[in-house]
Amino acid sequence: MMVVRRQWFQTPWEFRESALFSALAVTAGFAIQFAASGNGIAMPHLPFNAIALSLLAAIVLITGLVFRNTPVVKWFGGIPLGLCLILAIALLSLIGGVVPQQAAAKSSLPALFGLNQIFSSWPFALTVLLFLANLGISLSWKLVPFKPQNIQFILFHAGFWIALSCAVVGSGDLQRLVVPINVGKANNLGYTMESDTPQQLPFSIFLHDFSLEEYPPQLLLYDPHNDKLLMNKSQAILEVRKGTTATWQGIEVLVLDYLPYALPGKDGIPQPAARAAGIPFAKVRINTASSLREAWISTGSPLLKPDAAQLDGLYLIMVPGTPKAFRSAVTVQDTKGHEIMANLEVNHPVNFFGWKLYQMGYDEKAGRWSKLSLIEVIHDPWLPAVYLGFFMIMAANILFFWSGIKRTEAKK
Amino acid sequence: MIVNFNTAAWVAIICWAIGSVLSLLANRTRILKLPAFVLSFAGSAVMAGFIAFYWSALDRPPLRTLGETRLWYAALIPLVGFLVEYRWKIGWLKYYCMALAAFFLGINMLHPEVFDKTLMPALQSPWFIPHVVVYLVGYVMLAASSITAVHNVYLQLRSKGDHTGESVSHYLALLGFVLLTFGLIFGALWAKEAWGHYWTWDPKETWAFLSWLAYLGYLHAFRYKIDQSKLQWYLALAFLVLLVCWFGVNYLPSAQNSVHTYTQS
Repeated sequence: MMVVRRQWFQTPWEFRESALFSALAVTAGFAIQFAASGNGIAMPHLPFNAIALSLLAAIVLITGLVFRNTPVVKWFGGIPLGLCLILAIALLSLIGGVVPQQAAAKSSLPALFGLNQIFSSWPFALTVLLFLANLGISLSWKLVPFKPQNIQFILFHAGFWIALSCAVVGSGDLQRLVVPINVGKANNLGYTMESDTPQQLPFSIFLHDFSLEEYPPQLLLYDPHNDKLLMNKSQAILEVRKGTTATWQGIEVLVLDYLPYALPGKDGIPQPAARAAGIPFAKVRINTASSLREAWISTGSPLLKPDAAQLDGLYLIMVPGTPKAFRSAVTVQDTKGHEIMANLEVNHPVNFFGWKLYQMGYDEKAGRWSKLSLIEVIHDPWLPAVYLGFFMIMAANILFFWSGIKRTEAKK
Repeated sequence: MIVNFNTAAWVAIICWAIGSVLSLLANRTRILKLPAFVLSFAGSAVMAGFIAFYWSALDRPPLRTLGETRLWYAALIPLVGFLVEYRWKIGWLKYYCMALAAFFLGINMLHPEVFDKTLMPALQSPWFIPHVVVYLVGYVMLAASSITAVHNVYLQLRSKGDHTGESVSHYLALLGFVLLTFGLIFGALWAKEAWGHYWTWDPKETWAFLSWLAYLGYLHAFRYKIDQSKLQWYLALAFLVLLVCWFGVNYLPSAQNSVHTYTQS
């Protein structure tokens, strides 16, 4: 601990100077944002962003190595400035973690200072840039001269540098488009989240089939007067099956029969039907203090109205289960003659020459009968670089964990 | 939650309670040491058994709701206490840990959750378990680190601070940081497969990043040889950021559209 009080700007610079510098950088960022009437920073595309990033890397490394004994550079690559910049990034992220990140009125205070899009704002960009410089300079000192005991440091810091810089710089080249396709049709137009004007894709997608699998339907008791669903005594979601029982205050229900795919018959008794057309039906026995009766209830579909059982002003209803899985059978084709057939499913995207295709959604009103599939297509040329950074960080962490154990062992 | 939970929870709490009493008595009567440990450990084993049983009853990992994650904390937190006692011969932490675990079970008993087997398609991923479990264990480590740091601050105020206590809070924070990093990156790799991009500044991601930065800051401050005793305050308070990240996010205005809000049933 230092006992003598340092003067401002007395070398070597430490926390006070670093804090002042970081605060100035953030303030300058907000000033620029305000002067640009709230417009954030626009990232350049390939190859310009790659050139700019290479230049930054070269300048930082050369500065760190050539001027490694200059007091200012020593301070610029030191822990005090690093810590202050980490704090600045944390505070800016805090704004992003509290203020909703969505469109706001142009003249509102959050919009003028970019608080509602903090992660593409000038103060954030400026702080990240300075942080990359700080990180890069400290890295240069550990890179040259190279020592094996610095590998953990190098992997972590270089990994973080690569992942952060490539994620930020690469955001200019990230393309995310949603392609709506109907069964039996092809589409080569995609929409961004921000605009209604479609963009031409370098390939087209043909949708053979869309299918959706649901969890079993659920049995619920609905109170129309209070618009409330009443929880049964077992505190469990009631999956409808033959033999399912449920108990509410004074009401006992037993499922006597269950037909997952059926259609109403002539005499009111449902008949099993094909999967594509049928809807779930259940025959229930309802036992209340005053009566014992049996009824058929159903979930309904876009074409059939649901059947509920009424009892003392309440309704016993059956609702379709939540989606368990949904998938699209597609053929993807580009103008060069490349073609693949694939099943797209959530968590199982498919690669197609630099693009990744995702099952995103469907017509939720139609549910299992949806003829529309929403496919998201994504092109992110910077992904391998970001992943390289991730894997370097993870490798460094394994070493860190290991040496952490060894160090405490040694202390003992 | 299903009926057996209350029984399992009470058995675990009673194990921890008797284990703690025996352990305190063991300071005088050495022979009680082993039964004390066996009983305390049995509390966690009961919870681990319950989780296994619950998992098979649900047909999905019980990691979807806040209440389900509390089951895991209840099983794991005492283990950190035992580990610290074994490794550093510091006995007091396990009492805090067992009390905290009992507290979590108490919350679950007061707020029973609906037994729901469904798991939305995005969560049906091989990343689900590693991502959540790594975070769970990380949070457990950091919770223990924070408790130790609070204890250290208390000792300092009574001018009794010692180096071992400081190295415990430091090592637990280091371990926790490593696990947070893995959790963050596993989450990013999963997000790329499920939602199309590895990072979208979803409020939970933002807060996870903030917590990560908080401990990154700590490690650098430690490295810069800032007075260890002052850093105990930092470690004690850093956990508050984690608490916001863990369940506070659900209540923030920014989190209305988050993919990470736990299902509240």
